[in-house]
Amino acid sequence: MGDLQSTLTQLSSGLRFTLGIFFLTLIFSIPLGLLVARGRMSKVRIIAGLVRIYISVMRGTPLMLQLLLVYFGPYYIFGVKLADLDIGPFKYRFVATIIGFSLNYAAYFAEIFRGGIQSMPVGQYEAAQILGFTKMQTYFRIILPQVVKRVLPSVTNEVITLVKDTSLAQVLAVTEMFTMAKNLASAQVSVVPFIVAGVFYYVMNGIIEIIMNRAEKSMNYYS
Amino acid sequence: MNVLEMKNIHKSFGSLEVLKGIDLNVAKGEVVGIIGPSGGGKSTLLRCATTLEQIDKGTITIAGDTLASTGEDGVTRYADKKSLQEIRGKFGLVFQNFNLFPHFSVRRNITESLIHVHKKSKDEADAICDSLLKKLGMLEKANAYPCNLSGGQQQRVSIARALAVNPDILFFDEPTSALDPELTSGILKVIRELAEEHMTMVIVTHEMAFARDVADKLVFMDGGVIVEQGRDIISNPQMERTKEFLAGY
Repeated sequence: MGDLQSTLTQLSSGLRFTLGIFFLTLIFSIPLGLLVARGRMSKVRIIAGLVRIYISVMRGTPLMLQLLLVYFGPYYIFGVKLADLDIGPFKYRFVATIIGFSLNYAAYFAEIFRGGIQSMPVGQYEAAQILGFTKMQTYFRIILPQVVKRVLPSVTNEVITLVKDTSLAQVLAVTEMFTMAKNLASAQVSVVPFIVAGVFYYVMNGIIEIIMNRAEKSMNYYS
Repeated sequence: MNVLEMKNIHKSFGSLEVLKGIDLNVAKGEVVGIIGPSGGGKSTLLRCATTLEQIDKGTITIAGDTLASTGEDGVTRYADKKSLQEIRGKFGLVFQNFNLFPHFSVRRNITESLIHVHKKSKDEADAICDSLLKKLGMLEKANAYPCNLSGGQQQRVSIARALAVNPDILFFDEPTSALDPELTSGILKVIRELAEEHMTMVIVTHEMAFARDVADKLVFMDGGVIVEQGRDIISNPQMERTKEFLAGY
């Protein structure tokens, strides 16, 4: 029982990093995703082309590899030593994790947002134009709120995947929950830490499902 | 005084010339009905007048303001952004498919542009909204959402939305084409009442009997040109093409 107690304590301390990666990635990748979606739909062909390549690379290569590149890239490619650097209260390994996750998830979110934006009937833009709304007003008052409703189920998918993907931060030796579970399991010669970690992930995603279902329901007043 | 003046309007989509030099004047208080076969350029003309399409050549003036004109150098210039916004406050457009904002209540569909474009206070906007909804028999639906309304009710709301800015001219693009006959008659009645109040209107429609009754002037368009226009072209068409078209009704 002492084992379980210490397992819970240690996993909880890892949970801080897991939650940190989760929330910071969402905070950065969603606005970035909107921006990338705009770029992908840009009429300037060079912008649209570059963004397309970005999305293709982000989706076409492993996130784990991307994390390693963000962490080691500055030193191996440019000779810049960031690895020992602390940025505010964060170690560079953690910052690199957030950068890698955000860039990767922004690509996925961008494609979801693009699908949502392009599914909007042109009549909505035309009505807004006739009524004198500016482009910004049209986007933020008319288009975006409707797009949110349309993309919410796909966004939920990504958010749930993100919870599980946080375990990839172990490649940068960030002591998130999965790293802790692995260390505990080998120290205790037991699978219990893995099972406990699994329950943690599952509960987190259960909460996300409940929240997202509520969000969807709150937008059910129109169709 | 002409509220709308369109001179020598040309418009092409790629190599397809859709408007081949249209002249159309609409006087204050006048109701103009535009009829003709699909693909004849009626809707495009309306979309050009309402800034949804850009003309290639010609002059458009709305309530004294020049929306677009072709200079002597042959270049067509549109009013600058600020003037465009101003001109857009002088007309309204009622769409075939209503194009209401589904995430807004009926009230917000009507007041949103009053508040955020025309900078009216919420109280002023609500007062305008209430009086329009009352007039259109929709006051009890003020807090409903478009998805809970019938097509006829949605079209009433979209008429109220277009009327909210007190426009100098109101355009209708086949306002009843998406409605069944029963709902159609309700909307036609609304338009008739507006005509009695001397609202200046341009109506693209396939409702011949209605057009004949309500319009002060009828315009028959086909092949990108005005084939014939006048008060009586439905009851007494002169041109062969007009007769041929009307024989179908």
